[in-house]
Amino acid sequence: MMINKWLKQLTQTLASMQTAIYLLLIVGVVSALGTFIPQGQTPTFYMQHYGEITSLIINGLGLGTLYHVWWFQLLIILLCLSILTCAYQRLRRVKKITVLASLLMHLAVVFILIGALWSLGYSHSSFIEIARGQTVSLNNYGFENGRLTLNDFKIDYYPDFQPRQYSSDLSLINYKGKNIEQSISVNHPLKAGSLKIYQSTWGWVMQLTNLTDTTGTIISLKDKDYFLFDEKEQIKVQAIFLPDFEDSESGIHSKSPLPNHPHVWLTLLQQGKIVDMAIIPVGDEVHLGSYHLRFDIFFPYSGLQIKQDSGVYMVFAGFIILLAGLGMRYWFVFMDKKGAN
Amino acid sequence: MENTLLNILFVLLLLVVTANLIRLWKPFGRSSFISSVLLIMAVIAFIALIVVRTTIGGRIPFANSYEFTLLFAGGILIFAIFVRRGLVSPLFDISVALLAILLLSVASTFSSEIRPLMPALQSGWLYAHVATAVVAYGSFALAACLGIIYLGRAQETDLSLSAVDERIYKLVVLGFTFLTIVIITGAVWAEEVWGSWWTWDPKETWSLVTWLVYAAYLHSRHSYDWKGRKSAWMVVIGFAIVMFTLFGVSVLLPGLHSYV
Ligand code: HEM
Repeated sequence: MMINKWLKQLTQTLASMQTAIYLLLIVGVVSALGTFIPQGQTPTFYMQHYGEITSLIINGLGLGTLYHVWWFQLLIILLCLSILTCAYQRLRRVKKITVLASLLMHLAVVFILIGALWSLGYSHSSFIEIARGQTVSLNNYGFENGRLTLNDFKIDYYPDFQPRQYSSDLSLINYKGKNIEQSISVNHPLKAGSLKIYQSTWGWVMQLTNLTDTTGTIISLKDKDYFLFDEKEQIKVQAIFLPDFEDSESGIHSKSPLPNHPHVWLTLLQQGKIVDMAIIPVGDEVHLGSYHLRFDIFFPYSGLQIKQDSGVYMVFAGFIILLAGLGMRYWFVFMDKKGAN
Repeated sequence: MENTLLNILFVLLLLVVTANLIRLWKPFGRSSFISSVLLIMAVIAFIALIVVRTTIGGRIPFANSYEFTLLFAGGILIFAIFVRRGLVSPLFDISVALLAILLLSVASTFSSEIRPLMPALQSGWLYAHVATAVVAYGSFALAACLGIIYLGRAQETDLSLSAVDERIYKLVVLGFTFLTIVIITGAVWAEEVWGSWWTWDPKETWSLVTWLVYAAYLHSRHSYDWKGRKSAWMVVIGFAIVMFTLFGVSVLLPGLHSYV
């Protein structure tokens, strides 16, 4: 009996407009707060940047991952419950089309929020870098079986060499029993059911052979990356790719991003200090300090974002219902004065 | 050419402010008509500006802070022509013109160079997103201007106070509907281009905050009959948040959206 009474009171509170308005404003204020605190940093970061007391508050309340912290999600769930109880109470009184419309749009909001929570729990995404000609197996990255090959990668430039578009020609083989061949680019991902593959970034990889000893190890380096030769002595080499090398009065640079005159700029460092340096074209070899290296080949790689998310269907369905509800509801405000309020 | 038109626009808006200050001080015959003519000329100058920029750039000017702020100012002027029908209020004309001057001044601080579209912006969603944002933010801007005359010298107007309040409500309804579309098109586009429909990036978050504030306005009006002064305050505060979303966020809280 007691519990019944208590439940009744709770639903009444939840269904009240006052609670709803407070919830809307609280969610608003809390979300706004999160934009002023850098998100996703380590507790030490906040300690270093915010002083003792403030960082204690930030770390204690989880303000550094505000949008994922339990009490923020609780607020969202309370908002859902408030909308649902409220909608339930009005369900019996649907006489005018405006009430039906408003019901639809409130349920749509709940739909979107549930879809979002679903995505938070059950979506999976992974970033991969894949060189031209390379094949990767998707289940190494936590997806269902399937082999992904980068057949080709192209960059299209404006006359001033700003990138106009970049695209990857992909084959997805034996994914859920299907084979898909598609060229993707920014704004045009590959879609296979709830799996999507996005063109995200790109860059150059260089392949060098270490001829210092007879083993001839192959070194693959992304543009501007380092290769560590000797851990103890901290000896490493950095490779900078110069696709269109030019040595002019203004210094060493690349005339354009097009691989018209490809060179690699190698810098040997020991304990952070530059020991030796060389710029060589493809096919050439060079002695760098006590090392002997050959620049074999270069090719572009493509950075792909792979994502599996079924919550997004629910969210998008919510969007459509929300728009339909809004359209129905407000048609009356403008067209039929009697229908409005 | 473009700069000349921009300067003409500035001059016309300053004339609107001057003419209406004179009206406030010493009402004269046909004064509202003069203000209307000046505003319409300003709209024509704005449209000419957009046409010139579209011709030079070979694309609709929808793509960076400069272009968006320009559209926002022009949208407000065009909307104002409709909203001020039957509303004879120097204060309203002044607030609209001052707001447009403020926005154009902000626009002048951005680079007006016409740049080709970067890959992320090459999407039909860009146009849907920006066009609806101009309508949404324009409606909220005019609701706030009406809110100001409601809170300030409301006796200057020809319309009754409750008619002004009703006009504010309709503008908020229009703005809220379009803001919903702005957020939805933004989310669908983000899913298409970044692989995530919502990332809590500051611009996104602040547009949500704006949406929640206007939702609170609609609910409080519906249930508590919050009309008049209280709701006028809400639309003024709501618009301050809109302005923060537009400019404050880009300057203070950089994120993925930093190019707009
Ligand atoms: C994100 C959350 C919400 C949004 C976006 C939203 C949106 C709206 C909108 C746009 C209206 C129409 C208002 C008008 O035109 O006057 C409305 C009406 C209403 N809302 Fe909400 N709402 C939300 C949450 C809630 C909650 C939690 C409640 C529960 C108390 C609620 C109860 C109502 C009621 C009773 C009406 C008036 C009924 C009607 O117009 O038929 N809303 N809401």
